[in-house]
Amino acid sequence: MKRVLSFLLLLPRNICVPVLKAYRLVISPLYGDVCRYYPSCSAYALGSIQQHGVIRGVFLGTLRIARCHPWAAGGVDDVPERHVHKYAVTRFGFVVVAGHGKVT
Amino acid sequence: MQNIIESVVAFFGTILWPIKWVVEFLLVAWHEIWTFVGMDPDAGLTWILSVVGLVLVIRAALIPIFVRQIKSQRRMQEVAPQLKKIQDKYKGKKDPFSREAMSRETMELYKRTGTNPLASCLPLLIQMPIFFSLFSVLHNAQTGIDGIGLLNKSLSNSFGHSSFLGAPLHLAFATANGNASVIVLAVVMVALMTASQFITQLQIMSKNQSPEMKASPTYRQQRILLYILPLVFLFSGYNFPLGVMFYWLTTNIWTMAQQFLVIRNMPTPGSEAALARESRVAKKAQRRGGFTIVEDAPVVAEPRVTQRVQPVNSKNRNKKKTGNRR
Repeated sequence: MKRVLSFLLLLPRNICVPVLKAYRLVISPLYGDVCRYYPSCSAYALGSIQQHGVIRGVFLGTLRIARCHPWAAGGVDDVPERHVHKYAVTRFGFVVVAGHGKVT
Repeated sequence: MQNIIESVVAFFGTILWPIKWVVEFLLVAWHEIWTFVGMDPDAGLTWILSVVGLVLVIRAALIPIFVRQIKSQRRMQEVAPQLKKIQDKYKGKKDPFSREAMSRETMELYKRTGTNPLASCLPLLIQMPIFFSLFSVLHNAQTGIDGIGLLNKSLSNSFGHSSFLGAPLHLAFATANGNASVIVLAVVMVALMTASQFITQLQIMSKNQSPEMKASPTYRQQRILLYILPLVFLFSGYNFPLGVMFYWLTTNIWTMAQQFLVIRNMPTPGSEAALARESRVAKKAQRRGGFTIVEDAPVVAEPRVTQRVQPVNSKNRNKKKTGNRR
């Protein structure tokens, strides 16, 4: 029961993960490295959706894209850490409850 | 295919309302100018020139961003030794942790020294809505929907039904339906776009790269891009209406000219183009009679004179002081 619930809870972000992964694999290389930050905006968005869920993740990612403009200093800008680590990320990038599946 | 494009256009159309408004404003303004000059308001050429005018305004507005990027690329030269140090530190280390640490350190260096050479995706993001709005304007004109701002029904209709050399501007290769002039025009434009893009990239890569840059992974990425982009053009040339293609072609030609001027007049230090410029400047000086030092040379020379005199003076003073003490 708990597993089903957590699967449903994590489903939205796990749908976003392959979409972002595909974007990073196919579209990003088309225009090369342009991001003034590390991690790049798309990696940041991916990370924040994995850690904070779709709503907060999209919000954080949008703020980051707004921060990334030619007048910004750039530099290292990591996804804000969550206080509680309930979940783990598989090698592909899917979010699972810690203890299930292949975890890196 | 057409459905996917339509829904993408609709999606972007809603978020990018303000930019779309500006695009329509510029397009209509240029159309007014050309009509005022005496051109036929419904002719395809008038609308094409309006699109060209739109490109000129937008690209001119983007010049400051471009100049800024070039300036920080020049300053990159100053931090080259530090950059080399980081690269040497992680030389041969291909594991993800080392590579991540290397990217982090490089980014920190850029931030600390204010030499970030990357443009951010904003210049691309700005151009995307322009492209999409032009696309939807043409698409709407074809289906009889008027614009959101100044592009009213009659103007939208006029644009949608205008044709250039017998080719309606709202048609694409895919929707040409055997219209020979649309097909010929689309093919010619794809060829021109590919050629201009190829020349631009090749100019940058073969002439305007420092040796360090040529050894980096970004350079290899750019090389791959050189061969992927023509495919993108082929795809878009097949699907996009001619009016949109004219926007893209003009933008490509602008980029090519801009790049040519930059490479000629302010090349990357240490690149082939920089050497070519030095020899050009030297030749010019010789022709003028030898004594003139051309362009930016005096600016460098002047402060050097004062700087050279001062340390000699202070040294002498120091010597005198120590001599007095003894």
